[in-house]
Amino acid sequence: MPENSNVTFDLECRQVTKSFGDFTAVDQVSFQIPTGSFFSILGPSGCGKTTLLRMLAGFQHPDKGEILIKGKSVLGTPPNRRPVNMVFQHLALFPTMSVTGNIAYGLKRRNVKREEIRTRVADVLKRVDLPDAGDKRIDQLSGGQKQRIAIARCLVLKPDVLLLDEPLGALDLKLREQMKVELKLLQETFGTTFIYITHDQSEALVMSDQVAVMNQGRFEQVGTPQELYYHPETSFVAGFVGDSNRWEGHIDAIEGERIQIKTVEGESFVGRSIVKHQLKKGDSVEVYVRPESVNIENPKNRSDLPNQCRGEVISVLFDGARSQFLIRLPQTEGEISVAMPQTGEHAQLRKGDSINIAWAADQCLCFRRSSGNHDG
Amino acid sequence: MDKSSYTRFSLWILLLPFVLWLLLLILLPHVDMVSISLRERVSARNYTFSFKNYTEFFIEPLYWRTFVRTAWMSVLATLITLLIAFPVSYYIAKMMRGRLKALLFILCLIPFWVSELVRTYGWMILLRETGLLSTFLQWIGLSDQPVEMLYNDVAIMIGLVYTSMLFMVVPLVTTLDSLDDSLIEAGYDLGGSNWNVLTEIIIPHAMPGIVSGCIVVFMLSLGNYLTPILLGGKDSLWFTEQIFTQFITRFNWEQGSAFGILLLILSSLIVWAGLKLSRQSFTNVMS
Amino acid sequence: MIPTISSSLYFRGTYAVYVGLFFIFLITPLTVVGIFAFNDSMFPSMPWNGGTLAWFLNETEPQLGLFHDEDLLESIGVSFVVACFTTIASLVLATCNAFLFEREQFPGKNLLYILMLTPLVIPGVILGVSILAFSSTIANWAEMQFDYDLEFLRPGITLVVLGQFAFITTIATLVISARLRKFDSSLEEAAMNLGATRIAAVMTVTLPDLKPALIGAGIVCFLMSFENFNTTLMLVGSDAPLTIAMFDRLKEGSTPVLNAVSLLLMVASGVLALISVFFQSEKPGS
Repeated sequence: MPENSNVTFDLECRQVTKSFGDFTAVDQVSFQIPTGSFFSILGPSGCGKTTLLRMLAGFQHPDKGEILIKGKSVLGTPPNRRPVNMVFQHLALFPTMSVTGNIAYGLKRRNVKREEIRTRVADVLKRVDLPDAGDKRIDQLSGGQKQRIAIARCLVLKPDVLLLDEPLGALDLKLREQMKVELKLLQETFGTTFIYITHDQSEALVMSDQVAVMNQGRFEQVGTPQELYYHPETSFVAGFVGDSNRWEGHIDAIEGERIQIKTVEGESFVGRSIVKHQLKKGDSVEVYVRPESVNIENPKNRSDLPNQCRGEVISVLFDGARSQFLIRLPQTEGEISVAMPQTGEHAQLRKGDSINIAWAADQCLCFRRSSGNHDG
Repeated sequence: MDKSSYTRFSLWILLLPFVLWLLLLILLPHVDMVSISLRERVSARNYTFSFKNYTEFFIEPLYWRTFVRTAWMSVLATLITLLIAFPVSYYIAKMMRGRLKALLFILCLIPFWVSELVRTYGWMILLRETGLLSTFLQWIGLSDQPVEMLYNDVAIMIGLVYTSMLFMVVPLVTTLDSLDDSLIEAGYDLGGSNWNVLTEIIIPHAMPGIVSGCIVVFMLSLGNYLTPILLGGKDSLWFTEQIFTQFITRFNWEQGSAFGILLLILSSLIVWAGLKLSRQSFTNVMS
Repeated sequence: MIPTISSSLYFRGTYAVYVGLFFIFLITPLTVVGIFAFNDSMFPSMPWNGGTLAWFLNETEPQLGLFHDEDLLESIGVSFVVACFTTIASLVLATCNAFLFEREQFPGKNLLYILMLTPLVIPGVILGVSILAFSSTIANWAEMQFDYDLEFLRPGITLVVLGQFAFITTIATLVISARLRKFDSSLEEAAMNLGATRIAAVMTVTLPDLKPALIGAGIVCFLMSFENFNTTLMLVGSDAPLTIAMFDRLKEGSTPVLNAVSLLLMVASGVLALISVFFQSEKPGS
């Protein structure tokens, strides 16, 4: 990722490493976050993202590496002096205090004058659109309101960086969808740098300017949501971000970027290699094809896509906009998921129907097969 | 948090008062009592090391008989308390719902917010010759003269069971309450009888509560002084009474300490045996 | 044997009667004590001679009422002072203990925790005599070495407070620890994240959350101290707390003035119990 040296960074990590006994939770992670951006760290549970966040907040100390905020190292700064604030996973609003008490808490610790506290609390409540909530108790708030108070409690302190530890996890689906949009808007109005960790790819993709995909203590890839989705650099990213059909196989032939793959089940595919992987003939590979990039062919008007299969619909998985067909490839007994086009076309397909499917070589991504570990 | 000097400091600050409390009020007094029990007075302020206080205990039948009797009566009191309390606790925990349940539970606790002395006093008024029960028996014609029901073993037993009831009911209700109804339902659904469900689902689940209740009740009975003295009268023959006599009346601290240590050993042994038999750990049972 | 599973009417009926009898067993002695406080007789026993308030209010012997009985009033005062000191000391140490065992990690923690629990299984009489013996040992030693009598280590109020403090602390620790265990420690981290020092975080966030438990534990401590007999008996000096004073009178032969004291105790305990139930069930923040 080429970086422009003129850009100022709110946060920078250099080779940050943290181990617990034999287990390396965070392994030489480096990244830079430009001022005012929404940065997400996406990864499965146990990937080390919480540890990383807690190191940024100061609740844990890295074994090695450097953390800089606005260019200054904060490793020697205790958590209560760091210019970062955190929205906790379960929000951690103080139940013994009112909403105002919660928001004023940090200001009081800084010995801000009483009048100023009052105006700043009122101001931030207005900005999170809860101007009259000040006297309420925490347990009188709805889930979404609590969310906003937790963010207001941090933003009133004007932190350089706001850390968010999966704060939407406890909300129900509808509210979560709504809060995603709200968080993004809040971040844009306040202009504060947000670092958001989550295991939910949709949260990361919808809200972020940049997303880092984390696995086993390392960053697999950092990029915009589009880059991650369309141009995954590792098999983990391809598998973790979005749905995919996955096969294992080996390379039969290579012509430039085009490669010929033979899967373990015996299918032949034409795919595209990721430059970084420098594949050779005979290499073991993993092949990923997204359900939505597979075309269901019109029998009268066949396309000229290189990957063509005939199969039988064995199940229709109806899920509104995310509906899929499960199709069996009769020669090899393999299965493939295909997205149901939202145009209404092919909606008449039923279990047992035979169809032709096809996809482009560019939509068929090949990665060197990892033995559970990382590629170099 | 990382282990900085700051958190080490807070550990010491918290540890110091606790250690002082433990040493000065619990450990050293008992160590001192052991050392007192192992000496014999030769003349004023002149002592020698001796097991005489312990041999005395075994030579004098009154002492060890009182000891055995106290232990036996305490075990009996514990069992009776358990037998009475279990059905009641089960009723409160599993048969009752909502407000009525909370009310019954609190009703169980109320007598124990009142001093043990008052509770025992109540039984004295009930059981004595001129007491309510005696009058009642005469009134319904079962007896033609006042009956003295105080100052016997049954009176002691009633007092001990009554006094300890709370410490059995509370742990039992708590553990039984945590038993999911669906487990009992599953037990019946899979063809269990009342007896099967009780012995194979309910009692195993309630075991921590049973053990902790039994230990506490046993300790309270064994160490009780008030109830045996007041309800058992002069011949109550309770071992704590012997300890009191040696310490306060006869001023024979050496002998009294030896008795105290013996009682402590007995209670520790029985608690240990109870934990072993039920495979429970002390920390689990107590907290 | 649960409501959702049918059982015979006969079984249910018998069971309900049994539980009813149990509650009669629980309540009778206390009711009797209360009722006989109003008997116009020199003895708390049958026959019933008609109601009177003499055992509370009468100013002269032989029916000296509770509110004019100097000895009893004084012993209530002694009990009150002892209970106050014991409660405060136990609460402070128990709070420290709760933080020590719930928050800190150190070698030997399990052993120390078990030792912390031991007062629960030491009979009260033995705890009393061991403290009596140990304090006398120290006092005797000090007298020999410095020719100075450490008065507070001789039987008396100080020793009573110490003896009660020894075992009441354990009970208070269990109550407070249980609450602290449920406390979400991310609240403390949030406080530090918002700029509080560790001590400020504990003071402003953790202790307010523990308040119901502290009040509940305080009431339990106070009552346990006020009503303690076994440990107190061994350590008492010339100022007798109420339970000891009542015991002495009971041995001499009781008059209904003891019923009057008992009734007063029951009412006071009942009020305290209600307060404690109220605070325990109170939701945090409300």
